[in-house]
Amino acid sequence: MDDRLKETLSAMMDDEADELSVRRLLSHARQDEVRSQWQRWQQVRDLMHQGNLAEDRVDVSAGVREALDGGVHKRSSPTVSGKVRRERNWHWPAVAMVTLALVVGFGAGAGWESADSNGEMANAGIPAEQSEALESETVGEPVQEVALQGLDDEQWEQVSRYLLEHAQHNSVGAGRGSVGYARLVSASGSGY
Amino acid sequence: MHKSVTGSPTRCLDPYRRLLAMVVVVAACLAGQAFADTVTRDAEYWLDRLGPALNMTSYRGVFVYARGDQVSSMQIAHRYQDGVVEERLVPQDGASGEIVRKGMRVVCVLPDHGRIQLDQVIPSGPFAEAFSSQLMPVSRWYEPELAGDDRIAGYDVVKLALKAKDELRYSHQLWLEKSTGLLVKSHVRSSSGEVLEHFQFTSLEITESLSDNEFVIRTEGEEVARELAPKKTASPAPRMDGWTLDWRPDGFIPAAAPRSGKGQAVAFSDGLAAFSVFVEPARKIVMPTGASRIGATTVYMKQLEVDDVDFFVTVVGEIPPRTARKVAESVKVDDTLAFGVVGQ
Repeated sequence: MDDRLKETLSAMMDDEADELSVRRLLSHARQDEVRSQWQRWQQVRDLMHQGNLAEDRVDVSAGVREALDGGVHKRSSPTVSGKVRRERNWHWPAVAMVTLALVVGFGAGAGWESADSNGEMANAGIPAEQSEALESETVGEPVQEVALQGLDDEQWEQVSRYLLEHAQHNSVGAGRGSVGYARLVSASGSGY
Repeated sequence: MHKSVTGSPTRCLDPYRRLLAMVVVVAACLAGQAFADTVTRDAEYWLDRLGPALNMTSYRGVFVYARGDQVSSMQIAHRYQDGVVEERLVPQDGASGEIVRKGMRVVCVLPDHGRIQLDQVIPSGPFAEAFSSQLMPVSRWYEPELAGDDRIAGYDVVKLALKAKDELRYSHQLWLEKSTGLLVKSHVRSSSGEVLEHFQFTSLEITESLSDNEFVIRTEGEEVARELAPKKTASPAPRMDGWTLDWRPDGFIPAAAPRSGKGQAVAFSDGLAAFSVFVEPARKIVMPTGASRIGATTVYMKQLEVDDVDFFVTVVGEIPPRTARKVAESVKVDDTLAFGVVGQ
């Protein structure tokens, strides 16, 4: 991103960029660079004015609506378009700003979103060390393991009946539908 | 008013400018709309849809279910019509058999599988009412988060992560189909992130056109039929005759009272996970003390001696072994007479 583009961007911030420059800016190959530059400056401006992003977005939506109205005018009455255009001249940089702000805002939002979800995927389970430590502190010594394979016939029958009953509570009862049924059939299978 | 520094002549009258502005504004509006959609459909929205969608969606498909080292697959047809749920399940592995359900009537046709009596499989207690009427604040015990989009069995899905807030329960991950909210995949995970139980549709067709003959029993064999909760009981209070629980994990409330012979069993659910507690007089056999795990399911057994009478205490559920043990340890038999064991 060269200095001329930065100048344009800067001018847009002040509502003073000319149209050609803005179009050149919008057609710049590295839109991500443009966005991040714009975003940084917006943040700086926000900080300096102690404003916040939300307020900007309110302004933005109003601008969008106004611009949309203008668009309808143009199509329905081309003869007055010149006049309309002239009236709205001052508004052009605002529209460009609106667009950029939305693109930037949305892009940034999407970026945060995906970053979040990546984090979530990674943390889907509770961090191991932390919870294990908690567990051992609060619940005490490890639980005695019983191998199902080691049970004799009568013991296994007892256990499998419990498994089935529990699975049944889940499937029909808990409304877990097919998951519950799966547990049921899985429990009644001779897999052990 | 705006004052121009450069005074550039290109500032005025340019037909492209308006076109550009229009395109840009339309694009901006579309983007805004998409943004609003994702914002309103938060984790709570999907959680609310989960329950109804399980019953009220009509579909057919095949799903796999894995727990521990065991994998099974099952074919399912599910229809919701005139307020009645019809379902037919056919296990795809091992011996043939099927389960057909129409409303509260369930028919099991399973081949002889050795030692298990089928009439023990189907409960006679009023379960559905007790469970389905419960509006559990799942988010009190789990931290619901949207974890992105995916595609399962050809359908666009949204992934919902429910992270357990304490170590008393497992974390769950649910994948819900976007248009219906149908559960198409789920994981139960241990605190270390290990997948203990895995459920997933491998083929799925969500459709309203399911004919009657898809719900007809086709397997020959011994049929076991039961009516589930034909009558609504005034209170779904569990029957804990003769015994009490001194402790149970936060959020788990009594949900059903199955009857199995002399046994006294109560199911507890926190809205996602469930465990059942069985207390019954010990028979001649001796049960070991400790926990067995099959995937996410823990079986914790112990024997308890009260007034010279032995009892089996068994906790079965999708809960960590330590939780199961703590529940089992907190069972107090306070009235041996309630079990009708006098003279045995």
